[in-house]
Amino acid sequence: MKKTAQLQLLLLFFLFTGTASLYGQSHVQFNGFARNYLGVFTREGGRLSIVQNTFDMEISGRMESVSFTVNPYINHQFDRSLEPGLREAYLDLYFSNFDFRIGRQQVIYGKAEGVFITDVVSPKDMREFLLPDFNEIRMGITAAKLNYYRGASTFEAVWVPVFTPAREPDHQSPWSPEISFPYPVPVNMDFSEKMPETTLENSELFFRYSRLGRSMDIEMVAAHFLDENPSMHIQPHISSHGGMPDSLTATPKHHRLTMGGGSFSLPVSNVIVRGEAAFYNGKQFQTMNPNINSALIEKQYLHYMAGMDINIWDWNVSMQFIQEYILDHQDEMIQDKMENMATLMVRNTFLREKLDVELFAYAGINYEDALIRPSVGYQYADGFHILAGANIFLGDEGRFGQFNNNDMVYTKIKYSF
Amino acid sequence: MKTKMILTGIIMVALFTLPVSQVKSQPSGKQVVERVYHSPSGDDMKSNLSMTLINARGEQRVRELRQFMKTTSEVEKKIMFFLSPPDVRNTSFMNFSYADGRDDDQWIYLPALQRVRRISSDSKSDYFMGSDFTYDDLGDRHPDEDRHTLTGEETLDGHACYIVESRPRDSNYMYSKTVTWVMKDRYLGLKREFYDQNGKLLKTLKVSEFEKINGFWTILETEMHNNQRNHRTIMRLSNIQYNTGISDNQFTERSMSRGL
Repeated sequence: MKKTAQLQLLLLFFLFTGTASLYGQSHVQFNGFARNYLGVFTREGGRLSIVQNTFDMEISGRMESVSFTVNPYINHQFDRSLEPGLREAYLDLYFSNFDFRIGRQQVIYGKAEGVFITDVVSPKDMREFLLPDFNEIRMGITAAKLNYYRGASTFEAVWVPVFTPAREPDHQSPWSPEISFPYPVPVNMDFSEKMPETTLENSELFFRYSRLGRSMDIEMVAAHFLDENPSMHIQPHISSHGGMPDSLTATPKHHRLTMGGGSFSLPVSNVIVRGEAAFYNGKQFQTMNPNINSALIEKQYLHYMAGMDINIWDWNVSMQFIQEYILDHQDEMIQDKMENMATLMVRNTFLREKLDVELFAYAGINYEDALIRPSVGYQYADGFHILAGANIFLGDEGRFGQFNNNDMVYTKIKYSF
Repeated sequence: MKTKMILTGIIMVALFTLPVSQVKSQPSGKQVVERVYHSPSGDDMKSNLSMTLINARGEQRVRELRQFMKTTSEVEKKIMFFLSPPDVRNTSFMNFSYADGRDDDQWIYLPALQRVRRISSDSKSDYFMGSDFTYDDLGDRHPDEDRHTLTGEETLDGHACYIVESRPRDSNYMYSKTVTWVMKDRYLGLKREFYDQNGKLLKTLKVSEFEKINGFWTILETEMHNNQRNHRTIMRLSNIQYNTGISDNQFTERSMSRGL
């Protein structure tokens, strides 16, 4: 912990001394937004699901070869304490062929929309499931990023010295996912191993090659990193009478993963065809068998997507099919050998882009569950946007069906400056 | 005899040269359009662009961006950085238009997503940033994509003009025809009417200001009026610079995500 604090202090010092020296010499810009987000659960007699007021400001400044960006935000919610945060805070150094970025930053990979296949650098804030905007779901990480440019090609290396896990909802939250344990007995949580030590050995490395080409864009990635979602090591405690355990101890722990993959997008006639695939090694999968060590089995798996974007009668339509395939699957594993999902996005604007209509839907094929998200937005004045929408969960089980009681309608009123 | 031969020669020369000189003073529609298309416009250009959207009630919305263009014999590269309104600030759009007639390559960078995304160039009939200009209106349409007819001549705002009617070879094109007034002395379009697929007048484009900058005739201000919906867009170019030697590095993923 001490090393983490020292490293973060060093980065902050670097950031703010750089910022201060830039302030007097460059044009500093202030952008951001103020937003009210009000949501109501429709199945619980109008219980409020969220009342959130957000102030988000991006301060940036640039000289010829140096720039900085700081993006603090404050969330106020009626049922939580005030939440200040720092989405990003970094310095950029620009050279003729390469750029260097250091500080808290979001790093985004891949060409899939709404799903994370090779996009594993920035951990996710899942406290409100997949409902917030994606730049709010992705969390900033403390990292050093080097980009080298050669023609239309970009080579990128990211070093993350401090591991940041995904943020999970509280157990009382309506967005807390179902966790399966082998026996219906009391579970004691042991968080002693949840956070890995901040050592060089536990740092993360990511590499990316990308190219915007004539007729095709490609991206190749490789990563050696810690799983942002902990695996649950389960130990049964058998009573002296033998038989069924009388309690379980669950110890969440983040494991090292290695990933290689890539993505592409290319135009075929009037369609943009997109694809993305990743091979993962080292993933610990949960089982329902406590006789297996920690009730976990390590397997390799594939995660891939094929999709297309097309314009039909002035409507932008995007479709994706996503599959996760566990190699050498064993029956004890909770997750199916193959998990299939599809997404659909339909969008159009009217009244000279003042009115926007959108439908985004996830469909889980294995459990016949879905999340359907229609919304209508209106640009009342430049920068002033009003949005009304719904989140409709279908099915009884699966990633979306488990939240079947969380159907909600919401409004977002946002002023950008 | 000698005098008769000389007179016959003069008459023959007059007979054969008259039609030639008439062709020179009365070019075909295609020749006019090709001359406009091939007017020198520099190897590269950068400028600021503002669009004022005015609705039927006279309410105004302003969009501002900065654009860079570079042209070679093979490709015209363009990149635009959106400056306002605030909710689209730092968005960038890049277009590569190829001389061999193949489809354009287009990408957009959205700061909220922090990644460059390829988009379909099929959306040329979409209106640009809610204005009355479609993406196609903003580009250079190749003369071979239409059949051109010189339909007359007219003096417009004190400028002698050719009037050229252009009908698309592609029957699915968003306009059934366009009619363009081209200044005779500068080969610069001064006015254009756009007719919808039913043959009704849809929009009228008028050039209200032009100037020679760095040796190139440049349109500074235009107004597109949607005759059917009675709204307008005034587009104005400023801070124009030609041939500053814009590097190819300006038209890359790095440039799109880094912004201005």
